Amino acid sequence: MTEGDEELAKDLGLVSAMTIGIGTMIGAGIFVLPGVAANTNDAGPIVVVSFLVGGVIAMVNALSISELGTAMPKAGGGYYYINKSLGPMFGSIAGMGDWMGLAFASAFYCIGFGQYLAVFVGLPSLAFLSPIQVGALVAGAVFVAVNYIGAKETGGVQTVIVTLLLAILAAFAVAGFFSFDYGILTSDGGLTPNGYGVILPGTALVFVSFLGYAKIATVAEELKNPGRNLPIAIIGSVAIVTTIYAILVSTMLGVVPWRDLVEDAPVAQAAEIAFPSSLLGFSGVAAVAASVMTLGALLATASSANASILASARINFAMGRDRIVTNWLNEIHPSYATPYRSILVTGALIIVFIAALGQEIEVLAKAASVLHLIVYALMNVALIVFREADPEYDPEFTVPFYPVTPIVGGFLSLGLVAFMDQIEIALSGAFVLAAIVWYFLYARDETTQEGVLSEYVTRREDELPDGVVDAADAVAPNEDDDFSVMVPLANPKTEKDLITLASAIAKQKGGTVDAVHIVKAPDQTSLEYAAENPEVFEEDYHGILDAAEQNAETFGVDVETHTILSHRLFEQIFDAAKSHDADMVVMGWDEDAHGSPGRVESALDELTEDLPCDFLVLKDRGFDASEILVPTSGGPDSDLSAEVAKLLQAEYGSTIRLLHVADDTDAGREFLADWAERHGLEDAELLVESGDVEDAIARAAEDASMMIVGATEQGLLSRLVRRSLVLDVVDEVSCSVLLAERAREKSFLDKLFGN
Amino acid sequence: MSKRLTDTVVVPVAHESDARKTAAALEPYDVDRVVVVHVVEKAGGAPDKTPVEQSEEIAEASFAAFRETFPDADDALAYRRDVVGGIIDLAEQEDASAIAFRPREEGRIVRFLSGDHSLRLVTQSPIPVISLPSEDDE
Repeated sequence: MTEGDEELAKDLGLVSAMTIGIGTMIGAGIFVLPGVAANTNDAGPIVVVSFLVGGVIAMVNALSISELGTAMPKAGGGYYYINKSLGPMFGSIAGMGDWMGLAFASAFYCIGFGQYLAVFVGLPSLAFLSPIQVGALVAGAVFVAVNYIGAKETGGVQTVIVTLLLAILAAFAVAGFFSFDYGILTSDGGLTPNGYGVILPGTALVFVSFLGYAKIATVAEELKNPGRNLPIAIIGSVAIVTTIYAILVSTMLGVVPWRDLVEDAPVAQAAEIAFPSSLLGFSGVAAVAASVMTLGALLATASSANASILASARINFAMGRDRIVTNWLNEIHPSYATPYRSILVTGALIIVFIAALGQEIEVLAKAASVLHLIVYALMNVALIVFREADPEYDPEFTVPFYPVTPIVGGFLSLGLVAFMDQIEIALSGAFVLAAIVWYFLYARDETTQEGVLSEYVTRREDELPDGVVDAADAVAPNEDDDFSVMVPLANPKTEKDLITLASAIAKQKGGTVDAVHIVKAPDQTSLEYAAENPEVFEEDYHGILDAAEQNAETFGVDVETHTILSHRLFEQIFDAAKSHDADMVVMGWDEDAHGSPGRVESALDELTEDLPCDFLVLKDRGFDASEILVPTSGGPDSDLSAEVAKLLQAEYGSTIRLLHVADDTDAGREFLADWAERHGLEDAELLVESGDVEDAIARAAEDASMMIVGATEQGLLSRLVRRSLVLDVVDEVSCSVLLAERAREKSFLDKLFGN
Repeated sequence: MSKRLTDTVVVPVAHESDARKTAAALEPYDVDRVVVVHVVEKAGGAPDKTPVEQSEEIAEASFAAFRETFPDADDALAYRRDVVGGIIDLAEQEDASAIAFRPREEGRIVRFLSGDHSLRLVTQSPIPVISLPSEDDE
């Protein structure tokens, strides 16, 4: 067969997938960590158990990743599943966690590479950098460069490297078996010189050795037959490396007393002792063996670092596609066809981590682990959410003992974090926080993805506690694809004018009108009953919407109609504005427009302080936008008045007059001219009056057909509802009055911490 | 019946802006049928340097950019480790009379690393290869 006879995007077979997992994992555990792990906390030989526990935790998570991977073989791995399931806020945390976790891990692998490089060549120390760090920085730069230009790596090379590594390690295990001395293993305080309490802190340290299996999931899209190969590769590679770690670490500790095991390049040291100095008449066997082991270590750490850089580009791509990060990051190099920016940014992070933390290899290792563990924990939650809430979720591989396995996986992952040190937890916490801030400041406005979870919550809004629904709303992405004007309709008399106003605005903004008929049902009636029998509460309940539709269509704007049954009319408008993602609400205001006023004042205050969108309230005395009067004294609400006036002008060719009342008419003139210019109303007629504000307005309104008033202070709407409007002038003038109040969103911090 | 060079011309493009420039370079010439082709470079058993889904997006964007100039152009996509081989195979598959491409200005090192696609295409193609002028390359 000539190369690529089949047009196949999926060209990773089981062996390739397995070598990705093994190749990524085997670098750290054996070659870098045994010395540090055995000596840290004076753990001693029991550190082997730490590796085994790590393997068990990895295995539980591996089961979950396998299930998710077979359900969604997509680029991005853990990030993708979490974003899809728990929504973009957790997606941001997972993406950031995965990305930074990989950068920390790469820095760690580079340091490991530097350690073994230092065995071979004399490295200088530079400024505050140790020789090992210098080696690591060079290595890191080379790995980044290789990925930047996308040098062709073939499956063959990958397989050869892993096979070679396994062969080297097997030779070491055999040699070690013959030099193994149980006495050395127990020489210094027995198997547990400091008890069993050191096992879990040890696991926390060595867990970085098990991160590679998740990389298989990041390239799941390229796997042949992922339903079968993905679980086998993920679970298989964890099982294989756990076994290898257990055998080799035991061997090492039976060859070199654990207290003497060096922290840098331990395998080279152990090899020198394990292999006989001469064999079959050849001398220098041990030295050669040590060199071969060192070469192996260089290969292994390089392959781990390389795979991590590659995987991070995948995660960035997946995040860019969901617009969690800017797609600028994922642009492809015109000549190399690599996502070079993503690789450079990741590379810069790796370099910084090596330089800043390279002398504390434990911190690098654990920070990588904490971030991955957070992602694993979220991933287990994501799995449960998929199973419970997504009818389309259909994995080919399913975890055994559901829901016990994912629950245990989540707890084990977070539980292991508890055994990390404060510095790593703080470091990782900072990145999680940064991800949340990033989400609210950037991604929330960009992404349109909603998670399975929030869709589930929205579907069951009535059954779930308010707190849950509000929380889901508070973190849901902001959609701003289309400008939508919501019109709550209750009174057939004002329907036409409201829809006319809304349609004119929607038309100018290129948006849609969302006509909502809110039908009030008595408190005694259940909403379910009301929803099924709306005609009981209002005959011809759909008539008003039909009329609205016709009126809006004369403007050529798209109109949607909804009927909402509610016990509480006014509050329902706010809820609907939120849940429909309205950008503006246009509502009428007359004696009985929206039912009993002031019934729930405290709740209303709360609501009106947090206006979900801009509100226009029309006191309708016949819709005529030919002569518009806009009284202003500045402020955000009068900004909205100006905007609306301009929209109406564009639609109806209205004449606009601006009125400002000031004691000092000269200063007032200056203010108004400036205000008009800033709001693009230079062509408006300017009117500056002094004296009583209401009288001035009333006089000016005599020739106007419509007046647009910005709420001069917060809470206009709540005062409106309670009939305690201070602007009595609104009742005095004879033209229609439009009251404008700007959206007043709670600040980001208020939302986050519930004020 | 004699064949004409312009019966079916296969035009390989690498990315969106390359597609746009290539289309512009081809535009003055009279061609009967145009097939714009893109080969997604595969690693062949190792993870690809670019996510496949991203490569597919690039292919779609390139085709769309090409159609700004040639609205009727057909398109063809292949996944291959060997980009030049992929182009040639696609050309044979489309029964092309020629391959028209725009050699891109590349540094010596890039040429070395990427195996100089232009040279290989010209020397290995069993059907005529037309090299389009590329003056406005940045």
